[in-house]
Amino acid sequence: MNIVVAMKQIPDLQQIRIRNRQPVFEDVPLTLGPIDKNALEAAVAIKEQLEAQVTVLSAGDENVEDTVKEALAAGADQCYLVLDDALKNAESSVTAEVLAAALKQMEDKPDLILFGEGSGDNYSGQVGSRVAAILDLPQVGYASAIEVGEGKAVVTRSLENCEEVVEVTLPAVVTVIAGINEPRIPSVSQILKAGRKPKEIVEPDELNLDLENAKTDTLSNLAPETQRKRVVVKSVDELIQALTSEALIGR
Amino acid sequence: MIIVGGGLSGLAAAYTLAQEGLEVLVLERGDYSGAKNVTGGRLYVNPVRELFPDLWKKAPFERFIAHEQVVMMAKERSVTIDYSGSELAVEPYQSYSILRAKFDRWLAKQAERKGAMLVTKNRVDDVIMENGRVIGVWAGGEELRSDVVIACDGVLSFTAEKAGLRKPGRANDYAVGYKEIIELPLEVIEARFNLEGNEGAARLFMGEVTQGMFGGGFLYTNKESISLGVVVGIHDLMQGEVAAPELIDLFKQRPEIRRLIKDGNTAEYSGHAIPEGGLKAMGKLFGDGILVAGDAAGMAMNIGITVRGMEYALASGYIAAQAYLKARERQDYSAASLSVYQKLLDESFIMKDFNSFKDAPQVLENPRFFNYYPEMVGDMMKEIYEVPNGPKKKIFPTVKSRLKFGELMAMAGDLRKVMKI
Amino acid sequence: MTAILIYSDQDNFALELVTAARSLGAAEVKAVTINNEEQAQVLANAGAQVLKIDNEAVVSADVAAVAAAVAQAAEKAGTDTVLLTSNRRGKELAGRLAQIMGAGCLTDVSSIKIEDGQIKCQRNALGGATVAVQTITTDKKVIAVMPRTFEAATGAGGSMEAIQVNIPAATIKLLEVKAKSGDDVDIEAAEVIVAVGQGLNDAGQLPMIEQLAKKLGGEVACSKPVATDKKWLSEERIIGLSGKNCKPKLAVLLGISGQVQFTVGIRDAKTIVSVNTDENASINTMADYILVADLHQAVADMNGKL
Ligand SMILES: Cc1cc2nc3c(=O)[nH]c(=O)nc-3n(C[C@H](O)[C@H](O)[C@H](O)COP(=O)(O)OP(=O)(O)OC[C@H]3O[C@@H](n4cnc5c(N)ncnc54)[C@H](O)[C@@H]3O)c2cc1C
Ligand SMILES: Cc1cc2nc3c(=O)[nH]c(=O)nc-3n(C[C@H](O)[C@H](O)[C@H](O)COP(=O)(O)OP(=O)(O)OC[C@H]3O[C@@H](n4cnc5c(N)ncnc54)[C@H](O)[C@@H]3O)c2cc1C
Ligand SMILES: Nc1ncnc2c1ncn2[C@@H]1O[C@H](COP(=O)(O)O)[C@@H](O)[C@H]1O
Repeated sequence: MNIVVAMKQIPDLQQIRIRNRQPVFEDVPLTLGPIDKNALEAAVAIKEQLEAQVTVLSAGDENVEDTVKEALAAGADQCYLVLDDALKNAESSVTAEVLAAALKQMEDKPDLILFGEGSGDNYSGQVGSRVAAILDLPQVGYASAIEVGEGKAVVTRSLENCEEVVEVTLPAVVTVIAGINEPRIPSVSQILKAGRKPKEIVEPDELNLDLENAKTDTLSNLAPETQRKRVVVKSVDELIQALTSEALIGR
Repeated sequence: MIIVGGGLSGLAAAYTLAQEGLEVLVLERGDYSGAKNVTGGRLYVNPVRELFPDLWKKAPFERFIAHEQVVMMAKERSVTIDYSGSELAVEPYQSYSILRAKFDRWLAKQAERKGAMLVTKNRVDDVIMENGRVIGVWAGGEELRSDVVIACDGVLSFTAEKAGLRKPGRANDYAVGYKEIIELPLEVIEARFNLEGNEGAARLFMGEVTQGMFGGGFLYTNKESISLGVVVGIHDLMQGEVAAPELIDLFKQRPEIRRLIKDGNTAEYSGHAIPEGGLKAMGKLFGDGILVAGDAAGMAMNIGITVRGMEYALASGYIAAQAYLKARERQDYSAASLSVYQKLLDESFIMKDFNSFKDAPQVLENPRFFNYYPEMVGDMMKEIYEVPNGPKKKIFPTVKSRLKFGELMAMAGDLRKVMKI
Repeated sequence: MTAILIYSDQDNFALELVTAARSLGAAEVKAVTINNEEQAQVLANAGAQVLKIDNEAVVSADVAAVAAAVAQAAEKAGTDTVLLTSNRRGKELAGRLAQIMGAGCLTDVSSIKIEDGQIKCQRNALGGATVAVQTITTDKKVIAVMPRTFEAATGAGGSMEAIQVNIPAATIKLLEVKAKSGDDVDIEAAEVIVAVGQGLNDAGQLPMIEQLAKKLGGEVACSKPVATDKKWLSEERIIGLSGKNCKPKLAVLLGISGQVQFTVGIRDAKTIVSVNTDENASINTMADYILVADLHQAVADMNGKL
């Protein structure tokens, strides 16, 4: 059983600061998307039950080679990286083309391809669906549980108002939600071993891929302006008075 | 080879050992090196330049310090001494302002490039001892063995304590520092501090900034931010009425400071302990299978109003690595073999500094330095500069009226002690 | 703008999309419904031109089938632009539909308008730290709009027409639908919200919070750790990036520090009150009224006085 987990390198969101409404990326450490880590954990949990090989797939700039260590330490067996500066902030449709091409190229055909429900920075939730469409695979989104059987998987899809339990034939694309598990923290010896795990690194050319143009354009990306009163009230009485005068309470 | 703590001392040791081709593992509890490390912000490069010859060209310094200023702050006035010697403005520059989040991360990268393994987000939970000798550490529920452990885990070094090398300190041996990084546009910083290009200013404050307590305030200009902070002795702080975090707020409200940081955005706020008991408070620096470096060994010094620790951290990390290399040649990691560390330290600027300043902490516990003198100098200046409507008094009587006989004697006494520093 | 096609699995969201399409100046608002006679009726009554698909092969759990059906409907309707709802089903569909249509796609769109001849969409980025304004540069467009961004449409003059679609063999089998257990609160619809964070001492204090919410005529909500780590409240009540997006008239935030992942879910509230022991808590920068106090004390006080 081959499980591929698509993971995106993102800036550590907790470290991004805002200056003049602009996000400051300078010196912000890189990490992998938080929900992508849930996807990896889901794969490792399956591996612990069955014979499985877990491959991390990531597209991005050359820093990914370093960032991906986190995933190798957390239980992935190997990684497949498509590296090019142009892939750093690639738009979802472009990323999907690249990932799909990489998946086609893999020697061990993937049975299960896991994604996060959304990437940490862009959170568009498109890439998994697009890859499934390109490869013409069935997909189940928003998984809160995955059980793998012979040639199929039973997946619980968590929607706003209900949960659907579906059976899907493999190979398939599944995207997971953050609540599916609690990613493990790798031990020191796992981290030390991570450096020695196999890495396959390719460039977009080697996938016979002409990177397509982005299908969307970002006109601006600014921190929202908050226009709040910021009145400091001294007591509950003063608060109640203020809210009453605004007709927010005591109607 | 395991190093506990990926601050300056740990990284310096790792860099040095990795350069020799040894397998080095650095365990750092923070998300990354420099994430939580606090410093005022000035690094003197001269003492450590030779130890890491390849390192400095690309180091992420903020600004070289070309303007040294001391501000004596009284309640309602202050006196500033500004020194801008030409030697400060020629290469190689003596000191730089730095930001640890940047600097430590960069240093970590250099050590990794040399082949050191840095494992972050991993705290050392215990030290493994066998027959009184350190044989490794516990981290993340795992036993990790090592010939020698170098404890570089900072001021409250848990590793050195567990290995029995240091006792929990007394309050007088520590200060606490509170610091903010306040962001301002480059041009604003240059204008407010009268800087050109990459020049920077270091401004130290004494007196009212600590409300007369043992300590001082500091301000360093970075490229696009200001490091502003207050350092106070824990002992004084425990007795004082003002809570430490308030000191920095009061400091920021002083007119001298307020206008410098106006419209700035506080990007970071931190508090941290500083060892400053001097030589007398230093613990044992080595044992069977263990070496201690940097703040963990108590190697930081408060010389009046400025704290120095980063050079000592870098140099002691380097020297600990040398000591390990010597012990390795002998394949003997006993305390006796590792005692070469003490010898190397004694020969270095570190111990020379600590010896020549060995009385500094005690002298500086004299509250007059932080309370009386700034007030007095301020008053004197006020009278000197005041032009009343009517004839101005002669200056000498002004000064003399301030300096009565008893006062002069006390000053002379204080002065004598200071001369020893 | 010529015609726009809309689709949502939920009737009320579909009606909101009709309004969205009209706001973009669509000459014709077309709507596709799948095996849902009732929704077709509702949308036609609101003035949409409904394309009805009745085909057992299109199981709603099979996104591939739904995407194929909607894409064929778009082609039949001659529309380049499809609006979807950015709920989970809608988002999952968006990517697949866009891919087979060759369309650019934006999801989680919180505001959409025509400006300089372009459709400009706003959406959160960087975990909510910023708001991006984006456009789709291809002719074909798939846009998934957040629920409750528009009012539900009313109107008349709609129509209905059945269409046929070809759907490949199913690869997904729906085994079971489970109602979500427990809490069916809808904090997004509440006009008043009383939200607690980790400043709350323990679960034993919750009744007091509930009492306050009741007195203010609102619902209790929380920050994420209160639900996921402490499990004091259900996950339905989480505000923020991984929870709900609330726009109440009044939000009373108790013991919440104000990390962006939380604030994105409440920054559109009309009035925000923050009660926090820390006057420097970052939540205070986005509050209208700030009370620096112990929340337990303050809530007891408020309960007594209201
Ligand atoms: C407010 C303030 C102002 C100062 N100003 C100056 C100045 O201007 N100039 C100057 O030279 N010095 C200054 N100093 C002193 C200087 O910052 C320190 O001496 C120096 O940082 C010491 O470096 P270090 O590597 O020994 O320790 P640290 O930098 O403290 O590094 C210790 C590292 O160990 C890690 N660690 C701790 N425990 C564990 C564990 N159990 N497991 C794993 N990792 C662990 C920590 O996370 C940390 O990264 C100042 C200090 C303060 C607080
Ligand atoms: C990918 C991702 C998604 C996330 N999504 C969400 C999300 O959707 N929603 C969410 O909420 N978080 C989310 N988080 C977590 C978020 O980053 C914060 O950790 C979380 O919001 C903090 O919750 P808090 O404010 O309750 O707790 P804390 O940050 O611990 O704050 C507690 C506050 O209570 C105050 N306080 C303490 N005692 C008292 C008292 N007695 N009286 C009054 N005040 C007191 C303190 O001063 C402090 O300000 C997400 C994080 C990530 C990485
Ligand atoms: N550059 C990338 N490399 C690998 N996987 C990615 C990349 N971008 C997105 N993904 C995957 O696609 C999911 C959804 O991403 P998004 O559509 O950006 O929200 C993520 O959770 C990842 O699993």
